[in-house]
Formats: sequence, structure tokens, C-alpha cells
Amino acid sequence: MTFLSIDRLSYRYPAGINALRSVTLSIEKGSSVAILGSNGAGKSTLLDILLGYTSSTSVFLYGKPLSEYGRKELGRLIALVPQKEQFSFAYTLLDYTLFGRAPYLSPMGSPTSTDSLIAYEALAKVGLGGFENRSITALSGGEQQLLLIARAIAQESEILLLDEPTSSLDPANRKRILTLLKQLHAEGKTLIFTTHDANFAYELSSDIALLKGGMLLGYGKKEEVVKSELLTTLYDTQLTVTEIDGRTIIY
Amino acid sequence: MNEYEIQKRYKMITLLVLIALSVIFGILSLFVGRYPKAGFTPLSLFYTDSVARTILIKIRLPRVVLALAAGAMLGASGFTFQLLFSNPLVEPGFLGISQGAAFGAALMIVFASTSSLAVQISAMVFGLLGLFFSYFLSTRFRFGGALLRLVLAGIAVSAFFSSGLGVIKLVAEPTKDLQDITFWMMGGLWNASWVSIIPILAVIAIALTILYVNRFTLNLLSINEKTSFSLGLNPKRQRIMLLIAATVGTTFTISVTGLIGWVGLITPHIARKTFGSEATHALPASMIMGSFFLLLCDSFGRTILPTEIPIGLLTSLFGALIFVIILSSKSQEGKA
Repeated sequence: MTFLSIDRLSYRYPAGINALRSVTLSIEKGSSVAILGSNGAGKSTLLDILLGYTSSTSVFLYGKPLSEYGRKELGRLIALVPQKEQFSFAYTLLDYTLFGRAPYLSPMGSPTSTDSLIAYEALAKVGLGGFENRSITALSGGEQQLLLIARAIAQESEILLLDEPTSSLDPANRKRILTLLKQLHAEGKTLIFTTHDANFAYELSSDIALLKGGMLLGYGKKEEVVKSELLTTLYDTQLTVTEIDGRTIIY
Repeated sequence: MNEYEIQKRYKMITLLVLIALSVIFGILSLFVGRYPKAGFTPLSLFYTDSVARTILIKIRLPRVVLALAAGAMLGASGFTFQLLFSNPLVEPGFLGISQGAAFGAALMIVFASTSSLAVQISAMVFGLLGLFFSYFLSTRFRFGGALLRLVLAGIAVSAFFSSGLGVIKLVAEPTKDLQDITFWMMGGLWNASWVSIIPILAVIAIALTILYVNRFTLNLLSINEKTSFSLGLNPKRQRIMLLIAATVGTTFTISVTGLIGWVGLITPHIARKTFGSEATHALPASMIMGSFFLLLCDSFGRTILPTEIPIGLLTSLFGALIFVIILSSKSQEGKA
């Protein structure tokens, strides 16, 4: 049985814009899939559908339509790391990480001491251990991204959806996030992330889906998909794929 | 026991201390009034004077109970509104509720009856209509997200009711009706009697229970909607349910107390400053602080001068002072 599959998925916004057209993907458990494309390609829409936030009957997890899963059940299977979080109140890092335990709580419950241990561990894993009582409003952009990942780790889900995880980060923080996500992938998490950065996609992913104008231009193992011709078509600009010191570079 | 559990226990103890203080202050305020003379009524008098006993049981006790319940409701609904709208400057009268209730009260006073019950029912009905119109208008707006549309609709509905209220005040009989309207808009607990407050207490108890048991969910509704969805919530449905609980509770409260400003704005701020932003302890803290604040203002208002000072004036005065102090304090930098 396929772990996660998308079968001829089309989506049209109420305004009439076709965001996705007959997209078919099959994602293996434990893989790391990059959804690569330029702005407006339909990446975020696809991520919303994979999250279940935008309803669709074309996505199947363990062979069962995503729409048939209960809300909490789905929360235990799929976690989201948004591009940006809305921090209107000065929660502590521990408070925010504990939010990740919500799918495990009873309808009117609040986190237990066991949940707090999981949250402490998640914060330590992303390198924010010791700062549990710090306010989220005092974090830098890179630290905020780490915190979002910590909350998703505390959620203990099988799948991690990440929306442009490094789009607004400097090179040092980009590297930090990349290392952390590689570690999570090595530990068996299934990563599905959107990005318009082809080099980041190549570094982190095992498979790449190329999305252009809502259509799938190519999908497969990254070595098979990342070709100069395909990327040039994807971005409507000349791109070259080359190897320097054993590393694939796209420029 | 890890640090989280220690903090949790410390916050719980602090909450219990606050509850005990509110109850003690509530009991003390039963002995404060203007019978037989302004100030503290000696305990012995209640054994010997039947009038004093009647005043204690039929006037002061329901009034103190109403102050505690109304303060808790305003504190809880202010906290809830701020989290649901992800905005620490929102207060319960945000969706046309307060202005709707004021319009309803004025309408009844001028055109029908000045009886307390009639004014309360009219205020309640128009307060709820304010919410209904705000929600209805927000579904018709073609601008911004759902929350922004609701806020803008609330502003528009408040403005409609305000102008309607202005017209009513223009035609009101100046020596009687206009004074009644003005007093209602300044708020007061002098209408409190067991008959008038028992139905209100039942509604407040239900609303507070709904908000209290969902306090962890409230946190999740203050962040990115997609994140809260990914955490197993149904954000739209749960937001509406909590919004209705907070609004109905507030409307029923102000129908009997008149307009009481600032409680719902400042007590959540003080609660968050004392207990942290996470709602598990900050929400009950906001409720208790609301109770304490309203009781304090009411006791002050009914004893300090020969004539009673409307409670709304005192909550505005003290509330604004506290608000300025909170926002000016160094430790508030970068916090909400």
C-alpha cells in the first residue's frame, strides 16, 4: 500500500483560478520530497491540501482518503511548519512547543508533565534547550524557525509539511535548519517541503516534484529530475546543473 | 518534579490565594454601606436590627455576588476576545454589542417602559442583535480575511447604533428619560436583586464554564489558523463557539449592569503580566482579577461619597490609570 498518494488532483479557487491541474504523486514513507516551483506555481495550495486544510478527495494516506480522518487523528499523523507564525502574545518557548501536544490531549485537557518532558526534549533537539522560559517575541528569525520545528517535533507526527522553511533566513541559519531537517529525515520522518530554492531542494530531498502553473512538470528521484532543461523550463530562465567537488550545484 | 510542574504548582497556589482574597474582600464589602451611617456596619447590628439584616441579604449580598460574577465574565470575555482576534487591545464591546445594548436600553427607556426588567431585556436583545448584524455584515464584505471583516463589521454596526442612540437622546425627555439613559450608560450595580440576577448568573456560569474548559484551545486559536488546524482543531467552528459564549455572557451581564468599560481590557493584561500569556492559568486569573476589580470599584463607589458614583466612571478612571502604568512599564517592552 502506498504511504501517501495524490491521484489526479485538480483544484480551482472560488475566484475561478486553476491552482492545480491533474497532479498525481506517490510518496514513500521516510522519503524527503521537495515541491519545487516559482511563485504562483501552486506549491502552497498543494501543501494546504496535503494538510487537509483545503478539502480534497484525491489525497490518500495509508490508502484512506485524508478527508475521512478525524481532526486529532490527522494532527497525530501530519505536522505543519508554516512559513511564518503569528505571535501576538508573549508565549514562552515552552508554551509554544507544548501546543504541539494538542492532538494528544482530551477535548478539554491541558498538557501533562509527560507532555512537558517531550517539549523540553524537542527544544533541546533544535538547539533551544535552556531557553524554555524565554519569550517568543525575543527570538530572531532563525530561532523562530527552529521553534516552529520544535513544536512540530513535539507533535510526534510521521509527516512533516514545511512551507518554504528557509525563505527568509541568512546563510548561517539556512545551514542550521538544513542540518536539523536532514537529521529528522535520517531518523525516519517523512518530509514534504515547498521551496523555490533549487539548491536547497537538492540538498535536503530524496525526491523532487517540479510544479509549474499548477501542473506537474516532473517527479522522481532528485538525480533523475534535476536536469538543466527541466529547471530552465520550470523557471523560464537558463539554469545549469553542474557538479563541483562531488556536490551538485544549480545556478 | 521538573520546572514546568513547579511553575504550574506555583501558579495554581497563586490563583487559590487570589480566589481567597476575592472571597474575603467580598465578605468584607457586605459590611460596607450607608446604613445606619456611611462606612462599616458593625456585625452585632445584624443580630439586633432586622432592617440591617434585610439590607444585607436582599441588597448587599446580591450586589456583591453580581459584582463578582460580572467582573469574572468581563475579565474572561476580554481575555477570550483578545486571543480570538489575536489582538491584545480588543475588548468585549467590540462587535457592536455594547452600543447595541445601549441603544436597546435607551429605546426602552424613552418609548416603552423604564422598569429595570424591560430595560434589561431590551439591552440584551439589541446587544445580541449587534453581534448578529456584525456577523451577517462580515459575510457580505468582500475585503480582507474573516477576522478583519468581522472587526470592520463590528465598527460599522457600533456606529449605526451610536447614531441611533444619539437620535433617541435628542428626543428623550431631558429631566427624566435622558437622565435614566445617562445613568445606564455609566453602569451600576444598584439594580441587583435576587430576582434580577439569578437568570443572569445562570447564563454567566454556563459561559464561564465553556471558556474555562476550552482555555488551552484558546491559545491555539491565537496563532496562525493553518497551524491550529494542523494541531487537530477545527479553528472556524471552535472560534465561533467561544465567540458566542463570550458575547452572550457579556450581553447578559451588561443588560443588568449597564455599560462597564475597561474591565475586559485591563484585567487580561494584568493576568498575562502576572501568570504569563498561556491561557491555562491566565484566563482564570483574568476572571478573578475582573471580579476583584469590579468589587473594589463598586464598594468604593457606594461608600466614598454621600451619593453613589456610577461604577462605569470608576472602572474607566482606574482602568485607564492601570492601563497607562502597564504600557509604560519597562518590563512590558515587546510583550503583549
